[in-house]
Amino acid sequence: MKHITAFLIIACVLTGVPALAQITFSKKHVTITDLRKVLERQAGYTIFNTNSISSQLKPVNIHVVNATLEQLLDEFFRYQSCTYTIIDKIVTVIPRGRQSITGKRVANIKGRILNEQNEPIPGATITIKGSRQQTSTNENGEFKLNGVDEIELNIIVTSVNYEPEEVNWQGEPELNVRLKQHVSELNKVQVVSTGYQKISKDKTPGSFVKIDNELLNRRVSTSVIDRLEGITSGLVFNKNNNTTTNQTNIAIRGRSTIYANANPLIVVDNFPYTGDINNINPNDVESITVLKDADAASIWGAYSGNGVIVITTKKGKYNQPLRLSVNSNVTIGQKPDLYAKPVLNASDFIDVEKYLFNNGFYTIKESSLLRPALSPVVEILIQERDKKISPEDAEQQLNVLRGQDTRKDLEKYFYRTSANQQYSVSASGGSANNNYYLSLGYDKNLDNLVRNGYDRLTLTANNSFSWLKKKLELNTSIIYTEAKDKSNNSGALNPAYPYLKLVDENGNATTVPADIRQTFKDSATTLNPYLLDWNYRPYDELKLGNNTSKTTDYRINADAKYAIFRGLNATVLYQYNKGFVEQENYYSKQTYYTRNLINQYTEVDTAIRHIPLGGILDQNTVNYESHNVRTQLNYNTNWYNRNHSKYHQITALAGAEVRGTKTYYDGHRTYGYNEKLPNLSPIDYEDPFPLYQSPAATKKIEYRNSSRSQTDNFVSYYLNAKYIFQRRYILSASVRKDESNLFGVKTNQKGVPLWSIGASWEMSQERFYTVGWLPFLKLRLTNGYKGNVDRTVSAFTTAGIDAPNLYNVLSASIDNPPNPSLRWEKNHMINYGIDFATRKSIIEGSLEYYTRKGIDLIGNSPLDPTTGVTQFRGNTADMKGKGVDIMLRTKNINRQFKWISTLLFSYTADKVTDYKVQQSAVWYYCDPLYMSPIKGKPLYSIFSLKWMGLDPNTGDPRGYFNKATSTNYSAIINSSDLSDLIYRGPANPVYFGSLRNNFSYKQVELSFAITWKMGYYFRRPSINYYNLFNGPDSGHPDYEQRWQKPGDENTTSIPSMTWNESANRSTFYTYSDVLIEKGDHIRLQDVQLSYQLNKSEIRWLPMNQFRIYMYANNLGILWKANHAGVDPDYISGIIPPRTFAAGLKIDL
Amino acid sequence: MKVNFLYLFSLLLCWGICSCKKTEFLDEKPNSNVVIPTTLEDFQQLLDDEATLSLTPALGELSADNFYIMPNYWQVLGKKEKNAYIWAVDIYEGEGKVADWNTPYEQVLYANVVLDGLKNVAITGSNQQQWNNIKGAALFIRAYAFFNLAQVFALPYKAETATTDLGIPLKLTPNIEEIIKRATLEETYTQILNDLLAAKDLLSDAVTAYLNRPNKPAANALLARVYLSMRNYEQAGVYADNCLKLYNALIDYNTKDPASSRPFERTNAETMYQSKFSETNVVKSISNCIVDTLLYNQYAVNDLRRSLFFTTNSAGKINFKNGYNSSAFGFTGFATDEMYLTRAECRARAGYVADAMNDLNTLLKQRWKTGTFVPYTALTANEALDTILIERRKEMPLRGVRWTDIRRLNLEKPSITPARILNDQLYTLPANSSRYALPIPPDAILMGHYIQNDRK
Repeated sequence: MKHITAFLIIACVLTGVPALAQITFSKKHVTITDLRKVLERQAGYTIFNTNSISSQLKPVNIHVVNATLEQLLDEFFRYQSCTYTIIDKIVTVIPRGRQSITGKRVANIKGRILNEQNEPIPGATITIKGSRQQTSTNENGEFKLNGVDEIELNIIVTSVNYEPEEVNWQGEPELNVRLKQHVSELNKVQVVSTGYQKISKDKTPGSFVKIDNELLNRRVSTSVIDRLEGITSGLVFNKNNNTTTNQTNIAIRGRSTIYANANPLIVVDNFPYTGDINNINPNDVESITVLKDADAASIWGAYSGNGVIVITTKKGKYNQPLRLSVNSNVTIGQKPDLYAKPVLNASDFIDVEKYLFNNGFYTIKESSLLRPALSPVVEILIQERDKKISPEDAEQQLNVLRGQDTRKDLEKYFYRTSANQQYSVSASGGSANNNYYLSLGYDKNLDNLVRNGYDRLTLTANNSFSWLKKKLELNTSIIYTEAKDKSNNSGALNPAYPYLKLVDENGNATTVPADIRQTFKDSATTLNPYLLDWNYRPYDELKLGNNTSKTTDYRINADAKYAIFRGLNATVLYQYNKGFVEQENYYSKQTYYTRNLINQYTEVDTAIRHIPLGGILDQNTVNYESHNVRTQLNYNTNWYNRNHSKYHQITALAGAEVRGTKTYYDGHRTYGYNEKLPNLSPIDYEDPFPLYQSPAATKKIEYRNSSRSQTDNFVSYYLNAKYIFQRRYILSASVRKDESNLFGVKTNQKGVPLWSIGASWEMSQERFYTVGWLPFLKLRLTNGYKGNVDRTVSAFTTAGIDAPNLYNVLSASIDNPPNPSLRWEKNHMINYGIDFATRKSIIEGSLEYYTRKGIDLIGNSPLDPTTGVTQFRGNTADMKGKGVDIMLRTKNINRQFKWISTLLFSYTADKVTDYKVQQSAVWYYCDPLYMSPIKGKPLYSIFSLKWMGLDPNTGDPRGYFNKATSTNYSAIINSSDLSDLIYRGPANPVYFGSLRNNFSYKQVELSFAITWKMGYYFRRPSINYYNLFNGPDSGHPDYEQRWQKPGDENTTSIPSMTWNESANRSTFYTYSDVLIEKGDHIRLQDVQLSYQLNKSEIRWLPMNQFRIYMYANNLGILWKANHAGVDPDYISGIIPPRTFAAGLKIDL
Repeated sequence: MKVNFLYLFSLLLCWGICSCKKTEFLDEKPNSNVVIPTTLEDFQQLLDDEATLSLTPALGELSADNFYIMPNYWQVLGKKEKNAYIWAVDIYEGEGKVADWNTPYEQVLYANVVLDGLKNVAITGSNQQQWNNIKGAALFIRAYAFFNLAQVFALPYKAETATTDLGIPLKLTPNIEEIIKRATLEETYTQILNDLLAAKDLLSDAVTAYLNRPNKPAANALLARVYLSMRNYEQAGVYADNCLKLYNALIDYNTKDPASSRPFERTNAETMYQSKFSETNVVKSISNCIVDTLLYNQYAVNDLRRSLFFTTNSAGKINFKNGYNSSAFGFTGFATDEMYLTRAECRARAGYVADAMNDLNTLLKQRWKTGTFVPYTALTANEALDTILIERRKEMPLRGVRWTDIRRLNLEKPSITPARILNDQLYTLPANSSRYALPIPPDAILMGHYIQNDRK
């Protein structure tokens, strides 16, 4: 709360004094006298005028609602020959076009607006940037503007069917501006942001994808990144990623690194974002630009290797009345289908347990001094064996269990329909010298899992001020986020016996076995009342859990821009970001976790509890802080040659940047925690204690305190320039040098800059171009280097502190030898692009082909052991890749009823071209937990072991070893001969894309998106007997199809069950070729429906805009290549449930 | 325009400030839980990594004649142990990752990291002693590693041919990109001696309870061992004498329990510096080594070493007990007994028979049952030398010195021919054979392009 108060105070101060006076006025034939009355009454202003001028004023019809004073005045003076100024609440009427009383230098401008064939354009609008002065051209394309403020004079020319053009007036007696006919809607002036500058997409040869506000808001979601799914060309969301092998959720144009950071860089406004991207409220986002190729991204140097996502937040506008906007929506998600996850049913599971029991499988466990928990079924079978119950009773008890299903209780008590609520209110506006954007956002998500949820509060205050006639501009922004994540329910049990009943008929929680044998727990607690209740009741635990993670993040930005002289300005930007993530997991003394631990460490004879009575509190905090400072010079100029036949434009920027981020991690566990009495008994972590259940086994009390910190410091220099000639030839170049505390001395000193160059040519502008049906055609080519950083390696000799040595002295061992040549990874990318549009933009789009080459990638390599190390992680690996991104938009019907289709198609392939270390056995290449690059194959590949069918006599799975069919599983999986591996294909989609159809009729709009992923493989889960027997594994229904008798091998490939299953037999089957499936699939991703009313169309509407929308997501798979019934995006079988959202947006 | 210049100036100033502090900013440690060794404390911690620094090669001992192994055990050994045991020409059969090579060079890396880092630590009045000790220790460790490597992977030192004989690669910086070649034997021993001569003056005199830390007596002991291996008996004698002047404690074996499986503590009185065989399958666990019967029979009944060094296993074979390392690893470090024997040998070779015998008897008196020891006598220097060499062998079985002794003694007089009978086949290693230098591991050859030893 303290944060919020402070925030509001600062926000108010920074907002300054916005023109808050709201005037509503409607009258016909308004005279200056009428106006004076209104101003005096409603705003306390007076009008001063001389009679000579007043007599020239004409009566005007005025209708304004909630307008500012200035808007009202503008409305009145728009049609007059004079204008006004405001000084200290006095409005003075002054003549137009003459020296004003404030002493401005004014200029009179005249000129002509022509098209590219040098023909005049009549009716074009000429606006002075940053003011209200406007005029339009006559039939000869001529215009005149008098009394224009001369400083930093930019003129914007717009006309229907032409690209808007901004030119800088440099005192030419006659300003001639040539407009370009606009032929492509997609390539129309779309402003993209690189984080260093904002630039028109048509003025750069780079590969950018811009997601505008409308498209971004098509999807309803809490997270901003989720909204990019399916609408961003070249960006894929990988669902089955494994973080242990450095896989990432999202990837732009495939993969280009092995061990280094593989996530795209996320930039918010000007600087890389340090915190969790979920802290950003999507409602505060104006647009997103994705930088794909070297030309677009290389400005980010050593950060840019995986592409860059630039998020631009909303800002206020100068001279704009207050706008209030409210957006609210609710998303309801179905309960997930627990039965969709393939597990063994209760009856089969009991049969397996019986089979194992009869083979004596549990005798070791039963007699183990550690007294591990046994399942209810095994307990019944033991009782039957020991003649404590009759076989009939046992059978009857088992039959009861056979009829039960844990999922039933889980579904009823542990799951619910999810409900995500999102609210956002924003206010924006601005006067001549100040603008603001304020917003408040609140999200409240209730998960599908009971007692799990997420809350987020975001506050934003963006302000801009300008002084010295806009020569000096200051922007400030404060963004505050507070989020709370509750996670008390995993939705699964361990061990997961499928026949457990979690809640009895009376709604009370039942006890289920865990950790220690239930019979032992029962007798122990009866014998020794000193022990705490030892029963595990999952349903009760659900209520007792208290695991929350709180995030507080704030960012303060301040940047100043000063126009040094025309065309050149200097900016200084600063950002401070600080955040805390405090994760607290409190196991109160009622929780089973705490009771179990206390009991285990209880010595009953002496009545000593080595873990004191009370709760156990785990606290983990992450604390980060970053400073970013940037100074930059921007230069922009354009000119014509003497006879106005040649046009030149130069845009350049140069700057330096310092960036430092510190992150502190702290972990702490408190035993015997008591909320009221913070007195903490000392814990003996040094001595091992006997465990109650097996006094022979001694164990130390777990010590869980740790702390570490991480520092990333960067100093970077960069330069970027573009030269545009005749508006159709563009040359672009960029160079950047990064130095960092991670890199080696040699890299920092020598400086190996990353660079890019690019060119584009709008061929359709040439005289010789006569393809009438394709009026727009542009070719682009870029070439350059992006970089990437691996934080896990260091240029310095690093050592790790070891346990005390034989002489009880702390020692350190060398982890990494010094690597002064350590440098960032380089990614060479060449991008070829074609943009095109047919007449009236019926079909338009772009096609891009790229090749990429990862050089100096961080990889492991063997080293001459004479150096003192045998393996070394450094810049030793290489990768290669290529791909295609196609974007196509067609206007199928373009009347009152509109049908627009957008097709995205991407192809991306990668290949490791150099990697020097080979795993010692083939099974590593099949195990998804190991990163096992092989030269010539994609980084993530699906490998398998040759499948020779089932043995007709035993049902054993058979492989291939030493050129013969074999069941020597150990030899098969441990072979070091890589030719024993079958390469099936890439593990990640090679082809992916989406098709979005948009239908609109008047204010109603409907769209749906179909997405696909193709060209990849996955390993289908099946029965793994070893894991099923030894836990924790719930089995697989493939069990039912297993080999049971000779002849079955002709119809099934599922091995027989053997009670003494070896891990190797199960491992071989799991990695065998028979379980590999094609991942290709098509799904109906989402449907969106909206209805919108605008003030411009409906006069009576009491607001500017009113929009209701509905959105449904995760609608389901339409087609899949595999016949195993597996959704390749969700191999484990937990498919995210369908969600339905409805919302309302009102702009006042 | 004036304002603009001011502006630009302040901008430049900003950059100026940045670049002044830049080196500091870019030198900041990226991660707190890894140590970038820079301080004396960091270096001491590295030097205290005894798990790495206390290991010495075992292939030499495996090639020597102190023990034999049973054929069924030989069968399950790794390739290099199997082949080294029978002195095969190629012992690795292409298999790399040879601890006997890798570990000493890892020790060299530690030493080089410390020596390199010390250059950036200023010496002050208060840290001088610590600084000296750390530098001395690093030099000692490097010299010891080079010496051990030279015993296994290079032929014995012969002054006549040392300038052309192949030594070992001498890695003197922590830079892993540096390309080095095998030095000559002369260069190798010069480097070892230079390191040690510098170390002995830097290290402090006292033998402390931290037996993993080098000290001046140990440096002198190593010098004596090195000179002895070079057959420079005069200098060997000098340094053995220097060592004993600083530290000469002996254990009375009558105070030790012959029934114990580990009669000696790790921090026993005679030990000045602890080191042990590195992990090879054979000598990792000395219980697999069966003592050479001829050797065992040389111990007199009243010689306490018979029961303190050896035990009879269930199969009736003689096994080694845990020695001065008090663990299943064989002790290879420095103890005073070796110095008494070295000084005695050098004195005998110089003709000081009485002094030599005095040294020997001082030692042996502590080895025999009280009251049973009859001092040895010798009439001639040769007689004295023969007695001393026999006692040297008996005092230090499985101490890592026998291999070096065989190599040098055969140069004096080709008299020792180790032999093995395995599966009814006789294997021998003729005196002064080229197989007294083991082959360099294939991975080092492949990546370092070193010249391989010419074994025939």
